[in-house]
Amino acid sequence: MSNESNNTPDGKILILATETCAYPGANSVGQAHSSYPANTYILRVRAPVLFPETFYLDCFKKGIGGIIIMACGEECPYDGAFHALSKRLDQVFKTMKAKGLDLRRLRLTAICTVCNRAFLKEVNDMNALIQELGRPTEGEMKAA
Amino acid sequence: MSSNKKESTSEPRVGVYICHCGGNISDHVDVEQVAENIRKIPGVVVSHTNTFMCSDPGQELIQEDIKSGKINRVVVASCAPSLHELTFRNAIKRADMNPYLYDHANIREQDSWVHHGDPATAKATTLVAAAVAKTKRLEPLDPIRVDARNHVIVIGGGMAGLRAALDLSSRGIAVSLIEKSPFLGGQAANLDKLVPTEASAGDLIKQLAQAAVEDPNIQISTCSQIVGFEGYVGNFKVTVQTHPPDADTRRQIIRGITSDKSQVGKMIPFVGYFPSAVPTSEQTRIIDTGVIVFATGFKTYTPRQGEFGFGDFPEVITLPMFIRHMAQAAANDKHLSFNGKKIRRVAMIHCVGSRQIPGIHEADENDYMNEYCSRTCCSATLRAAMEIRENFPKTQVLDFYRDIRTYGRGQEDYYDRASESNVLFFRYEPEDSPLVEKNSSGDFPLKISVKDTLTFGEEIEADVDLIILSVGMEPNPITGLVDMMKLPVGSDRFLQEVHPKLRPVELANTGILLAGTCQAPMDISETCNAAQAAAVKASALLGKGYVELDPFVAGVDLAACSGTGACVDVCPVDAVKLKPVKINGEEVERAEVNPAICTGCGVCVAECPHNAIDVKGWTLKQYEDMVDAIVAA
Repeated sequence: MSNESNNTPDGKILILATETCAYPGANSVGQAHSSYPANTYILRVRAPVLFPETFYLDCFKKGIGGIIIMACGEECPYDGAFHALSKRLDQVFKTMKAKGLDLRRLRLTAICTVCNRAFLKEVNDMNALIQELGRPTEGEMKAA
Repeated sequence: MSSNKKESTSEPRVGVYICHCGGNISDHVDVEQVAENIRKIPGVVVSHTNTFMCSDPGQELIQEDIKSGKINRVVVASCAPSLHELTFRNAIKRADMNPYLYDHANIREQDSWVHHGDPATAKATTLVAAAVAKTKRLEPLDPIRVDARNHVIVIGGGMAGLRAALDLSSRGIAVSLIEKSPFLGGQAANLDKLVPTEASAGDLIKQLAQAAVEDPNIQISTCSQIVGFEGYVGNFKVTVQTHPPDADTRRQIIRGITSDKSQVGKMIPFVGYFPSAVPTSEQTRIIDTGVIVFATGFKTYTPRQGEFGFGDFPEVITLPMFIRHMAQAAANDKHLSFNGKKIRRVAMIHCVGSRQIPGIHEADENDYMNEYCSRTCCSATLRAAMEIRENFPKTQVLDFYRDIRTYGRGQEDYYDRASESNVLFFRYEPEDSPLVEKNSSGDFPLKISVKDTLTFGEEIEADVDLIILSVGMEPNPITGLVDMMKLPVGSDRFLQEVHPKLRPVELANTGILLAGTCQAPMDISETCNAAQAAAVKASALLGKGYVELDPFVAGVDLAACSGTGACVDVCPVDAVKLKPVKINGEEVERAEVNPAICTGCGVCVAECPHNAIDVKGWTLKQYEDMVDAIVAA
């Protein structure tokens, strides 16, 4: 394929954005025509609690440089889902630590439908981090 | 759909349709290049571009490819899915293909409007490739259809509950209105004249309550509470307990009127509309209903002991107390008086119990803070200030505010009129809130001081006879109902809608709707708006005699399920149960999902050790394939 070479050495950022909060929030950033790095890929999710621990580790293994979970936070429309997600991520962070993966590669944040500034900050911060760390190293990918 | 089986078993043949959006996309993304890139992906059989995919010619492009048998999966790359996902689903359905064999790539809001040039084109290619990867794994789905009872339970007999009940009844839907107190009208009964129309709250309550009482389609149960709940949209079973009011309630709320049957059918000022004599014995019954409307309302904030002198000084009262006092004052009084004393100067303080800031204000005994604006108190305060100035011009009014928020039609006029009537305004910062002290000298009982930002921080001190605290709204304590029905609650403790803009009266629990101030602070106009919206939504849900629900609910792969019950344990809405089934002649337990209850949150997916449960249309494998496509691009 031509013209698809944004597979930069700096890696890619995966954003799991909830369909009721963060995904419309990302659209709101678009409506404001506020630019942010193009190595960001937003997946629309109903609730990120769906993903098991292995999903995150597999993403890093595949070469994803950073993952931002943009959830609804305490405003989650699904009873108990945010609490369950936080609990699961505790476990993911423990595993990442044990495997030597930089914990900053995974970030949980709450983004609302109009949180333009917060969205841009999260994306730019993660991009700066990925620039610094690069994509996961061979060692990190094997460990994951 | 007869073609479903064929669609699910056939090798995926994906049609990709990329929209120019009249330049919104194509000015920044080389859409022809994207189409060419995508054409090379295995399984993609057509890859077209069009100036406006949402236009009739654009939709016809998809329909022609479906009808000719070229494609059995569709990807549209265009604007945000919230705008046209349904448009394309319907177009696909009209071409006799399952509408859920379709995915949407958002290359406008999340690409061409935020990136430019080559990176935008490359990202569009990646996003479309990810959508293609997901689409290949899609299965045909059908909306879930459940029979629905043409009946609604409305919980709460205030303005929202009454308005919703009447609107539902006018649509031919039977209503059971459940009210815990002996009266109708809710908190509105504690008001007098309303902004901006100056209508009497009591008259409005009476108008709605009388109509509800006389409506044979509305069954009103006062002194009643919900004590049991099961079922799902269209088929809820709700247990209602009716009981005589306890002695305290009789004494404090009813004030003896229940024994006087002549009060039935009357609006009792600052109490409520009395629809029927109170029950004399306890009774429990089960009501089958299709939809439940929450109209449980709010309570006013009670200031803490000592907050602006409240509880310490009898001359510090809340705005609702003052409204009642004014309404009951004799019309020919020459002077404003309180507790027999002439009131020469009044101070009013805004934002008491609203817009609280951690670190500045004190949390309550449960560690909660009301960080939200209660929205209605500024106008109500200014109205009360105006009433004082117009009826008792010799009484001065000092107004201490953080911000004046007289939002809404006709409400800013109150601020203008108050200014013209010589109400004196002082603005304070939350960290320098007014200080209320006993006045040790002079003949005024209280002294109020504040750093006034309108005069650039000048320290102002004034002697006053009365201080009125403009208290905000708090959600009514309905923890029992929240726990019983597993309802989502926001960090502000109000009930949490699915989406504040797009689905503002729906809870994630399908079939349970919101009306009024159980959701957020509102005035009566907004409350009636919300109640009418909830009634229309309920009517739309029940109108066909059955309910069609999104098919995005959990589904069990029985071949992989070993009956661990992990999904049952974590399901927040009890939608998954273990059921006995026979496999190879042996009776075993396997997970079964009640699709009418399942909200599709996916909490069960990650917990299953055998990956035997997934959310239809949003499966884990689909996400994994999308990640693979993103990484590979």
